[in-house]
Amino acid sequence: MISISLNFIRRRRLTIEVRQRISLGLHVSILLGALFFGIGVCIAILLGRGVELSSIYEEFIVFTFFDSAGISSVIVESIPLVLVGLAAAVAFRVNFWNIGIEGQMFMGAIGASVVALFDIGPEILRLPIMFIFAAIFGIFWASGPAILKVRLNVNEVISTLLLNYIAYYFVLNQLFGPWKDPRDKFPHGEQYDIAERLPAIGWEQVHYGVAVAAFSFIVVWWIIERSRFGISSRFVGVNPKMALAVGLPVSTIVAGSAMASGSIAGAAGFVIAAATEYRLTFTMAAGYGFSGIVIAFLAGNRPITTVIVAFLMGSLFVAGESMKVFYSLPDALVGLIQAIIVLSVTASEFFVRYRLRLASFGDT
Amino acid sequence: MEFLTNWLAFMPVFAAPLVLAALGLIINERAGILNLGAEGIMLCGALIGIISYIELGESSALGFIFGSLAGVILGFVFGFLVVVLRTNQVVTGITFVILGSGLTGLMGIPWVNKAVSGITPIYIPHLTDIPIIGRFLFGQDILVYVTIIFVVFVWLFLYRTRTGLELRAVGENPQAADANGINVEAYRLLAATIGGAFIGLSGAYLALAMAKIFVLDMTQGRGWIAIALVIFARWMPWRAIIGGALFGGIEALIPRLKATGVPIPQYYLEMAPYLATLAVLIYAALRLRSGQDAPKALGIPYVREDRK
Repeated sequence: MISISLNFIRRRRLTIEVRQRISLGLHVSILLGALFFGIGVCIAILLGRGVELSSIYEEFIVFTFFDSAGISSVIVESIPLVLVGLAAAVAFRVNFWNIGIEGQMFMGAIGASVVALFDIGPEILRLPIMFIFAAIFGIFWASGPAILKVRLNVNEVISTLLLNYIAYYFVLNQLFGPWKDPRDKFPHGEQYDIAERLPAIGWEQVHYGVAVAAFSFIVVWWIIERSRFGISSRFVGVNPKMALAVGLPVSTIVAGSAMASGSIAGAAGFVIAAATEYRLTFTMAAGYGFSGIVIAFLAGNRPITTVIVAFLMGSLFVAGESMKVFYSLPDALVGLIQAIIVLSVTASEFFVRYRLRLASFGDT
Repeated sequence: MEFLTNWLAFMPVFAAPLVLAALGLIINERAGILNLGAEGIMLCGALIGIISYIELGESSALGFIFGSLAGVILGFVFGFLVVVLRTNQVVTGITFVILGSGLTGLMGIPWVNKAVSGITPIYIPHLTDIPIIGRFLFGQDILVYVTIIFVVFVWLFLYRTRTGLELRAVGENPQAADANGINVEAYRLLAATIGGAFIGLSGAYLALAMAKIFVLDMTQGRGWIAIALVIFARWMPWRAIIGGALFGGIEALIPRLKATGVPIPQYYLEMAPYLATLAVLIYAALRLRSGQDAPKALGIPYVREDRK
C-alpha cells in the first residue's frame, strides 16, 4: 500500500499488489512503452535545442541503418561498446558494480602501448602480445577493488570509481611527460607502427576489432551460459547467502568475475588504441564506462542481448556524433540520452512487478 | 610560516562542500537510502547556483538558495524512483551522475566559464589579523560557519528529536518501524529530499565560493569523495567535519605545493585526493567492528508487500 498523499482520493485508495505472473505481451508492452517514453523525452529535448524532427529521423534511422557507410560506422562504433557491455555484464551478474571500466580501459591501452613503444616480441606476434598485455593490465586494475571487496567488504562502486581518476591522471602524467609524442610534441602517445595497428577487413572502415569483440563474446557466452562457473555465478548473483551455505566459493567467483570484467575492459582499451586512435590518448575512454553499464543493464546481463543493445547504442553514438557537429550540441548529449532511457526503463520495472489497483475502504 | 597561514586559511573552503554533501548523504543513508548520484546533484546545484547568481543581481544568498532547491528537486525525484518505484539504488544513483553531467552540459552553455566574484570572506578587525590561525578561524565566508551550525542541527535532529529517531529506525529496521506505525516510505522520501538540499547547496558552494566559476564537470569526483567520507565518518555528523578537514587539507595543499615549486609531478599531486580517499576507505574497513556502524537497511528497499 502506498499511503503517501494518495489517501485524499475519497473513500478509495490506490493499492499495489505483487504480480504473481505477467504475460509476455504485457511485459513487452510495458518495456516498449518505457522506451517510447524515454525516446519521446529525448526528442523533446533535441527539438527544444532547435534540432528539426526530420533531421533526427535522418540521422538516427536512415543514415545509421539504411546506408552502407552509415552501418559500417555503426559497427565500428559498436566494437568497443560490445566489449564494455560484456565487461559490465560479467561483473554485474555477481552484483559486483564495476564502475571502473574507464580506468581499466586506460590500463589496457597503457599495456598495449608499452608493447608498442618498446617493440616487445616479433612483429608478426605484436598484436596478440598487445592484446594479452591489455587484458593483464585490465585484470591488474580490477584486482585491487575485487580483493578489497571480498576480503574487507570495501564498497567496490567507490573504489573502482576512484581508480578511474587515478588511471586518468597517470595517463596525463605519462602523456605530458615521458610518453609525449616525440614528433609533434602533442600530449598524446607516439603513433603505433603498421604492425601494431588492427588492420581493416576490407569493407568500409570496419577493422579486425570485430574479431576481438566476436572472440570475447564467444568466450563470455560460453562461460556464462555453458560452464559450471557461469551457473555458480548466476547462483551467487541471485542469492549469495544461499550460495555460501551450499558451499560455493563465493569470494573466488566474485573476485574472478570482477577480474574477468577488468580483462574485457582492458581489451576494449586495446581495440580503441590499436584500431581507432593508433596511440594512447587521454580522451579515449570518455563515456565508455557509463555506456557499458547502460548496455549491460538494458541487456539484462546476458551476452547475446548485450551485443544487440551495443549495436543500437553504436547507432546512438554515430548519430549523436553528427548531431554534435551539425547543431553544436555538447559532448554530454549521448550520456543524457542514455540516462533518460535507463531511468524510464528502470522505473517501468515497477509496473512489471506490481499492479496498481483502486480499492475501496473495507477491502482487504 | 606564510605557507602554513595560507594553507590553514584555504582549508575550510575546500572542506565545507565536502562536509555539506556528506551531511546530506548521512541524512539519506540514516534512512536507508544509498544515493550514489551525489556527484550529479552537486553539478546541478553548482550550475543553478551560478545561473541564479548571474541572473538575479549577483546575490550569493539567492545562488545558494536556488542551488539547494535544485538539490531538493533532484533529491525528491531520486527518492521517488527508489522509494516509490523501487528502482535499483546503485543503477539509479550512477545514472543520476550522468544525468547531472548531461543536463548541466546541455543547459549550461551560456553560463559556462564565466567568472563571478561570488561570496567574500568576512573580516573582523584584530581577530582576522591574528598570526597563523587568524584567517583560518575568523576569515572565512559565512557559509563555512553556517556549515558548522548545520552539522550541529543535523546531529540534534537525528539524535535529539523523535522525528530523527524514527528516521534512523527506518534505516536500521524498516519492518519494525513499519510495525510501530512509522510511514517508512514517507520518511525515506523526506530524507532523500532534505539530503538533496544539502548536496545541492554543496554544489552551489563549489561554484560560488570555491571556484567562483562554473566549469563543465567541475565537481571532479567530490560527490564520490563525500560518499567515502560518510563511511569514514561512520554516519555521524560531527565526524564528517574531521573527514572534511582531512580531505580539505589535502586539496588545499595541492595549489600551495604547486606554488612553492616542490619537485613533485603535477599529475601525481592531482591524484592525491583520490588516493587518500582510497586509503581512508581501506582504513575504515580495517577498523575493528567497522561495518557495524552502517545503517542495517542501507541500500535495501523496503516493500511491505514483499515481506516474508
